[in-house]
Amino acid sequence: MLPVIEFHLNKASGVSTYLQLVHQVKHALRLGMLVPGDQLPTAREVVERLAINPNTVHKAYRELEREGLAMGRPGMGTFVQRSIGGAALVDHARLRSGLAAWVLEGRKAGLDQEDLNAIFSSVVVESFREETA
Amino acid sequence: MNNAVEATGLGVRYRRSWALRDCSLAVPAGRVVALVGPNGAGKTTLLHAVVGLLSPDQGRLTTSGEVAFMAQDKPLYGDFRVAEMLRFGRRLNPSWDGEIATERLATLGIPLKRKVSTLSGGEQAQVALVMALAKRPELLVLDEPLANLDPLARHDVMRALMTSVAERGLTVLISSHVVADLEDTCDWIVVLNRGRVQVSGDIESLRTEHLMLTGPVELADRLDATVIGASYTDRQATLLVRSAGTLDPRWIARQVTLDELVMGYLRSPEAAALPAPVVVQA
Amino acid sequence: MTWLTWRQHRAQLITTAGLLIALGVLLLVSGREAAAYIAEHAPAGCPGPDLACGDLNAAIAERYNAIYTVYGWLPIGAPALIGAFWGAPLLGKEFERGTNKLAWTQAVSLRRWLGVKLALLAVAVMLGGLALSAMVSAWRPIFGDRGSFGNLGDFNMLGVAPAAWWLFAFMVGTAAGAVLRRTLPAMAVVVAVVSVVTFGLFSLSDHYAEPTRLVTADATATYTGDVRLVGKAWVDPTGTEMGSPPQGACPRGTDVGRANALQEAYERCLVDKGYRHVVYLHGPEQFWRFQWTDAAILFAGSLLLAGLTARRTTRRRA
Repeated sequence: MLPVIEFHLNKASGVSTYLQLVHQVKHALRLGMLVPGDQLPTAREVVERLAINPNTVHKAYRELEREGLAMGRPGMGTFVQRSIGGAALVDHARLRSGLAAWVLEGRKAGLDQEDLNAIFSSVVVESFREETA
Repeated sequence: MNNAVEATGLGVRYRRSWALRDCSLAVPAGRVVALVGPNGAGKTTLLHAVVGLLSPDQGRLTTSGEVAFMAQDKPLYGDFRVAEMLRFGRRLNPSWDGEIATERLATLGIPLKRKVSTLSGGEQAQVALVMALAKRPELLVLDEPLANLDPLARHDVMRALMTSVAERGLTVLISSHVVADLEDTCDWIVVLNRGRVQVSGDIESLRTEHLMLTGPVELADRLDATVIGASYTDRQATLLVRSAGTLDPRWIARQVTLDELVMGYLRSPEAAALPAPVVVQA
Repeated sequence: MTWLTWRQHRAQLITTAGLLIALGVLLLVSGREAAAYIAEHAPAGCPGPDLACGDLNAAIAERYNAIYTVYGWLPIGAPALIGAFWGAPLLGKEFERGTNKLAWTQAVSLRRWLGVKLALLAVAVMLGGLALSAMVSAWRPIFGDRGSFGNLGDFNMLGVAPAAWWLFAFMVGTAAGAVLRRTLPAMAVVVAVVSVVTFGLFSLSDHYAEPTRLVTADATATYTGDVRLVGKAWVDPTGTEMGSPPQGACPRGTDVGRANALQEAYERCLVDKGYRHVVYLHGPEQFWRFQWTDAAILFAGSLLLAGLTARRTTRRRA
């Protein structure tokens, strides 16, 4: 049986590999390409294609389990639990407009694309760091 | 969880100096470990000590379970046929699983009747890897396995390794002087510099702990963080820091890449990132 | 390990066996041909040391010159080749190719790897030496009783000597390979050591037993036999032994070049005055005693070299 989703890696993005996998699953869920009941590829299948560390795959799947999106069944595999509902899409729209306003303010203050990116990344990194500290 | 490799105060002499000095590390089982460092740092010496080709002159080194080794330049008996290499493995190792070997070679399309010396570099690397994997080891040690391989062969070797880790949960220890080769595949890193262990730890944890900061040079003194490496201009400071507390908003912070982390430590030989001492179980 | 020893050394085993067989065939064929020739041409009691056999001996030597040459070269040549091709590459090649890092990280310990290889190959090498000795013993009598004790070349090709020499040379090669970690230099060491020890042991053999002391008027008769000369002296008419007679006992001229006439005249004069030659020698009855003594020394040397090999290899495996 062919796996329903194929992962790909963007090495240049600077984002952790396991997070890229998590995002790709969520993206597929949002677009409806993955539905509850589908089996996610096994660690072995992912590793055979991408030559990454299987622990990375396990970590990604554990993160999805933690968020309630997937469930691992021993001896059988990891399966999609629920979809990402419309509510999330609404959140996205709201956040986007908020961010657009901020970007406009920054541009009016004379910052260019690089400056804006730098500040944005810095704030994001700090925010997540505070969580794990 | 036991450790696949444990070293305490390991020292190995080489002629009149020390190739390894006061090395301590503990690698948990099931990890894929990158052993990096400049040429001459002592990586091969450390690996030879781990697999028993060298006796420590000081300190202790223990490994748990069966150890398999793929040496630098992947030595094989050139005049043997591939089938004879497998026979060699079977005769010298009670734990040998011939089926793994023949299956893998069949998948790769390497005929058993060919003489080893007539195989390509990539094929020889695969045969050498099969020789190690068919022993069903708990710990697999590889000395610069990707050197002298074309990109396709390199990908094939890493793929074979990672698939084995996925299937059998073995611990892998790979040395390389090119960090980028190992970034996607390793989850533990050991940095060796001039015979000493500078860094030993989980890669994700290390990346979370460290930050690359850029900001006004005046702020550099009042920084609530351990500075590993720094470079300054008249106006700007760029710092690799660890365990940063609250930061002045004028600092721009970003995550460190593994390469930057390793380079930062190699340039500051006095700095170290080692795990806190663990209570030894009686 | 048995299979591995065979597989890694089968070239040497097969080549050596092949060469022994070829030599055997050569000796057999030429031996029968020589026997036929002798039956046809030889006076009674020939070939042998008698004066009457001189022509026949010369004719045989000329006819089988090539074989005699090979035979003359074998006592040092054969062990040197064994040491160079069986011994030197055993460890030399493993270190050179880096395969030591493969062979000594398997489940079989280095001690076992080395022990089995050395034991099996040592036995093979000794059997080869014995085969050579057997072939030479069978062939030589056809050419008359040339004696087997006095001449070093003959002695080292008979009895247990070849087996002992092949074993020793093998161990020298192995040890050289272990210490130098390269094959070609180890081969050179083998040739040098085998040559030096061959002549060294021959000199040392003077002490293997108490020499026989002969007092005689005619010394030459003693040295032309199948004997090993240990020393010469003189005894004066009163029975006192001395290195050389006192000056002035007889007129003594100095021979020029290869001439011997004046020396012979001097000695005849001494004998007339009552002096006698004293000759210390070992006779052919010592053959087996000397064979076993040589073999014991070479065997002890082999054990020491095996120990050296083991120590050097286990201490620094890569």
